[in-house]
Amino acid sequence: MPRLTLSGLTKAYGKLTVVDGVNLTLEEGEFVSLLGPSGCGKTTTLRMIAGFVDPTGGTISVDGNVLSAPGAVVPPERRGMSMIFQSYAIWPNMTVEENVAFGLKLRKLPREEIRRRTAEMLEVVKLNHLAHRYPAELSGGQQQRVALARAIVVKPAVLLLDEPLSNLDANLREEMRFEIRRLHDEFRITTVYVTHDQAEAMATSDRIAVMNGGRIEQVDAPHLLYTRPRTRFVAGFVGRTNLLEARAEGGMLRIDGLALAPTTQADGPALVSLRPQAMTILDAPPTGDGPALEAMIVERTYLGEAWDYVVTPTGSALRLRASAPPLAAYEVGKAVWVEIDPRQVAVVQ
Amino acid sequence: MFLIDRRQMLALAAWSAAASKAWAQAPLTPAEQALHEAAKREGEITWYSGQYSAEASEAAGRAFNARYPGVRCNVVRSTSQVAFQRLSQDQRAGVAQCDVFSSTNGGHYIQLKRQNRLMQFRPASADGVLPILRQADPDNYFQSSFLGIYLMAHNTRMVPEAEAPKSWTDILDPKWKDKLAVGHPGFSGAIGLWALQMRTMYGPDYLRRFERNKPQIGRSSIDPVTMMEAGERAVGVAVPSASTLFSMSRGNPLKLIYPTEGVIAALSPSAIIRNAPHPNAAKLFMEFTCGPALSTAVRELFNESLRPDVPPPEGSRPLDQVTMLAPSLEDAEKGVPEVREQWREIFGV
Amino acid sequence: MNALRPSRLRLLEPVAVLWIALIVALLVLVAVPLGKMVVISFETQETGEFTIANYLTAYGRQRYLDALRNSLLLGLYSAAISTVLAVPMAWAVSRTDMPGKTFTWVMVLAAFIMPPYLGAIGWILLAGPNAGWINQVWRWASGAEAPLVNVYTFTGLAFVIALHSFPLVFIFVKSALDLISSEMEDAANILGGGTWVTMRKVTLPLVWPSILGGFILIFLETIALFGTPAIIGIPARINVVTTQLWQFFEDPVRVEVAAAYAIPLLLITVALIAVQKLMLNRKGFVSQTGKGGERRQVKLGPWRWVLFAWCLMVGMLSVVKPLGVLLQASFSRAWGRGLSWDNLTFRNYHLLLFDHDMAPQAVWNTMWFSAASASLAIVLALLVAYIVVRRLMRFADALGFLAMAPFVIPGIVMAIGFYAAYAGPPLSLYGSALLIILAFTARFLPIAYANSQAAIRAVHPEMEEAARILGSGRLRAIRSITAPLLKTSLLGGWLIVFIVASRELSAAIFLVGPRTRTMSVLLYDLSEQGNFEVVSAFGGILLVITLVIVGIGMKLVGRDFMLRRE
Repeated sequence: MPRLTLSGLTKAYGKLTVVDGVNLTLEEGEFVSLLGPSGCGKTTTLRMIAGFVDPTGGTISVDGNVLSAPGAVVPPERRGMSMIFQSYAIWPNMTVEENVAFGLKLRKLPREEIRRRTAEMLEVVKLNHLAHRYPAELSGGQQQRVALARAIVVKPAVLLLDEPLSNLDANLREEMRFEIRRLHDEFRITTVYVTHDQAEAMATSDRIAVMNGGRIEQVDAPHLLYTRPRTRFVAGFVGRTNLLEARAEGGMLRIDGLALAPTTQADGPALVSLRPQAMTILDAPPTGDGPALEAMIVERTYLGEAWDYVVTPTGSALRLRASAPPLAAYEVGKAVWVEIDPRQVAVVQ
Repeated sequence: MFLIDRRQMLALAAWSAAASKAWAQAPLTPAEQALHEAAKREGEITWYSGQYSAEASEAAGRAFNARYPGVRCNVVRSTSQVAFQRLSQDQRAGVAQCDVFSSTNGGHYIQLKRQNRLMQFRPASADGVLPILRQADPDNYFQSSFLGIYLMAHNTRMVPEAEAPKSWTDILDPKWKDKLAVGHPGFSGAIGLWALQMRTMYGPDYLRRFERNKPQIGRSSIDPVTMMEAGERAVGVAVPSASTLFSMSRGNPLKLIYPTEGVIAALSPSAIIRNAPHPNAAKLFMEFTCGPALSTAVRELFNESLRPDVPPPEGSRPLDQVTMLAPSLEDAEKGVPEVREQWREIFGV
Repeated sequence: MNALRPSRLRLLEPVAVLWIALIVALLVLVAVPLGKMVVISFETQETGEFTIANYLTAYGRQRYLDALRNSLLLGLYSAAISTVLAVPMAWAVSRTDMPGKTFTWVMVLAAFIMPPYLGAIGWILLAGPNAGWINQVWRWASGAEAPLVNVYTFTGLAFVIALHSFPLVFIFVKSALDLISSEMEDAANILGGGTWVTMRKVTLPLVWPSILGGFILIFLETIALFGTPAIIGIPARINVVTTQLWQFFEDPVRVEVAAAYAIPLLLITVALIAVQKLMLNRKGFVSQTGKGGERRQVKLGPWRWVLFAWCLMVGMLSVVKPLGVLLQASFSRAWGRGLSWDNLTFRNYHLLLFDHDMAPQAVWNTMWFSAASASLAIVLALLVAYIVVRRLMRFADALGFLAMAPFVIPGIVMAIGFYAAYAGPPLSLYGSALLIILAFTARFLPIAYANSQAAIRAVHPEMEEAARILGSGRLRAIRSITAPLLKTSLLGGWLIVFIVASRELSAAIFLVGPRTRTMSVLLYDLSEQGNFEVVSAFGGILLVITLVIVGIGMKLVGRDFMLRRE
């Protein structure tokens, strides 16, 4: 039985539907991100899981027990979950230790056990030396660790994270990404992670659910999401891509007669996502038998870790973005060959 | 008339202290004894006091407390009209709070008696008061408890004695413009009586002519005494002799004027309210009021004594040498509200 | 699937019960008294039949109409004088390098906590046309016959009221000015606007809503003020609405007529608030653009001394002089005799503290009525604000509206409503402490509410959600998380309500009974007989008590707690 099941979950405020029939299941110990632009309904979904928002349709169940259904909602305190908030919500009137021990005290555990588990948890997040400090005396990263410790120490059935890193600066954000994943690997708590940052989602998650306009567009492992986006939105939101009008003809995707990749699609027009990384720019025609075309460099931008080129195939008005390693420098106006990796060509809806 | 010097003042104080002690300790009469026992069970008595000044009312309350241990007197001192207003509010709200009601406006008692809101009671001590005060009401619904003398006074530094007004009509002379001070019949019962008496003697035009001299209007009849003390106004109209003498005893340059027509004498009663919450304590208070203890207590503050066995206050002209003017209680009941309304139309407040 | 039965659990959430209790409490405190007042204004006394006779009586005389006109004029004068006094002070303290800001601040605070009727008594001693100190000095110095100032005039009355109302404008305008970024002024400077032009064309227009708000508030306070018009207005022969209302309570008590006569106050208030809304809807103002940009002091050069002189003058007039003359009187045998050793006495204080029957009881009444109303108001306001801010219930805004409504109801109207609704049968609360406590609670609920709302807004809802998701119920989360975080600001709110309640007169005067007199009412009663020495001493006691409370507040909550706008 899955740990957490969302089925047909819907939330509407009057005529405005912010979450629209979301279906999602998480196996025990799985880490799933809800990724999407702001306003896509991901935070509302998370708050419905927590019990702070009542659904107008669909259900949420944990281990087969329905916790939320329209008009019948178990309050948050009875769900056995934990949550980490965007603002951390570390209580400034309690020390680090008291913050972490709060949930255990609510569970009426023996005082000795509370002390022991709190100390262990603080050890894990490397805060044991700050146990008696007040939150105001801590840095942002340290506060974030307190929030993590406070949420994990109660061994929740489901851990919810709501944009937990958005208030940290870039370096710290990267460090905490790995910290979150490390803690997940250590405790294997079923986790739902809400973020608008694809790098965060990719670094932490087992699977990512991309949301748009209140719906889930695609749920997949991070690398599949990148290489095999299923919708136009996913292709555009996760990484950059070239969206091309192609045609399927006899099991082959073609653009202007050029065979790109084999397909199972029936004959007819097809929208194709071609990642910049799926193209290699060459001085001479490629030696292999993969698809390739003649083109001209029309724009270039140096990004440090890569060149970002815009090329136009000969005899076409298409503008394709192609990525090249730092040493592959070509002047604007130069004629080149572009080789395409057919495995990275994805048909999207 | 004379100013009391310091030595006389000390002697007076010593005498009155000794006398009031003597009276406080004098054995209770049988009537008092019987009531005292019953009153102790009620514990307190609330006195709406509009007759004596705040100091004298408080002194009377203290004398009562000292003489009858176990019964506490709540002194609620205000101007008479305000005291009556409170009583009316009580009545309107259906709340019984007042035990004994004392007002300088005798008309109040006629009204209360007619409305059957008074309790019949004649204290035994009433037989010992001055003959003019002995029988205020043939049906014994109220008893005289106050003899107030209202006359004129002047600040001797601002107006030499020779130039001071001699009669009630003198103050209508334009030369007194901006020099007079008076209380307000909407607040002070005595001022109501005075205004009524003036109207009776000199016709309705009196107040209008008085107004042309722009007297300063206070609220209480005592207000003008303060105005004279301060030098704000030179002549006080219808001021109580007691407060003026008290002020003189403190060294203020004031002098009483006994108008040629006579002084306004407020022979004012007190009465027990029919629904008094502490009826026995109220009866005891009435015994006290007509007995020597009250006269002794208030005499120290220059109020007239009610009894021949307690001497009149120092500096006051003996009562048998002055003409006393007073509207009858019946006239007061009808006339005071009329004259009050007339006053408001003339003075605007 | 064995679904839990969550719906029943939901229904039992204590918040729902609380919500109903709050609705009832607010109805009792706000809606019923007002409603009852409107109803009885159309009733015949005793029989309760419908009539418009009360209105005919209430407006049937020139004198009554004059009183209405006087009140309106008085409100305008006082509000205008207050604005003129306060705006330069607020600008100087907030935006410039004027010296003596602490002094100015102390003066404003002192003017704020000084009960207006005490100030009125002080000004009688100062500006009585013949004996007032100012006029004595003036005559001595100039040899003139005519007095320099006369408190017993319309302008005198308006001025005395303004001297104790201007702190409201000051607080409003200063808080708004504090929010303006210097960049706004820089932008005008760079285009060629000098300091004065910038102030007139940019800075002040930006805080126009606050000036207007302060103006309207003072107007409303003034037309509902009882003490000062009674103390100064009667000798000055100026009848106003409040003193006229008092006359309707003379025997026979005509509450119905009083109610009819009080209705215009209510209508004026509603109209003014509407006008304010209308005027503010049109433009963007500083209130919408909170932070951003630095704030620098404008350098005034020698002009800073001019501004300081202005602040000094206002401080002298509103605090130092009246307070000085009151203190002098309170230690005098006879205040008219001035300062001399043989005139010095502690007798007045001794009399009040040890020999007076009513005074100690009035002190005690004031303390506990104020404490009880402050506690009640804060608890109620906190719960309402919590529900409104956290949007826990549908129609939560209705609760908030009810809690804020007394803000725009003149205190004296409130008192008449309370008298009409609860003084008589069936509750017969007249003369009871409960009636006064309830009236004070209702009257000062908006202060408590604004305070609580700001405090709750400052606590992120996630603070509580973090506790709830860990397994704590809502009430437990409030108790162990929210309440401790709100403690300080709520204490501040409590103290403010306590202070304003302890000096309240306009509502108390209609509701006190013999055993429930407050210090303010006793002061008023004492002032009736002009015994200014004792009155001043009693005022001194009231001020000492207030100062102690303010001191405690500053210690616990911070220096600014009285003068923040919340």
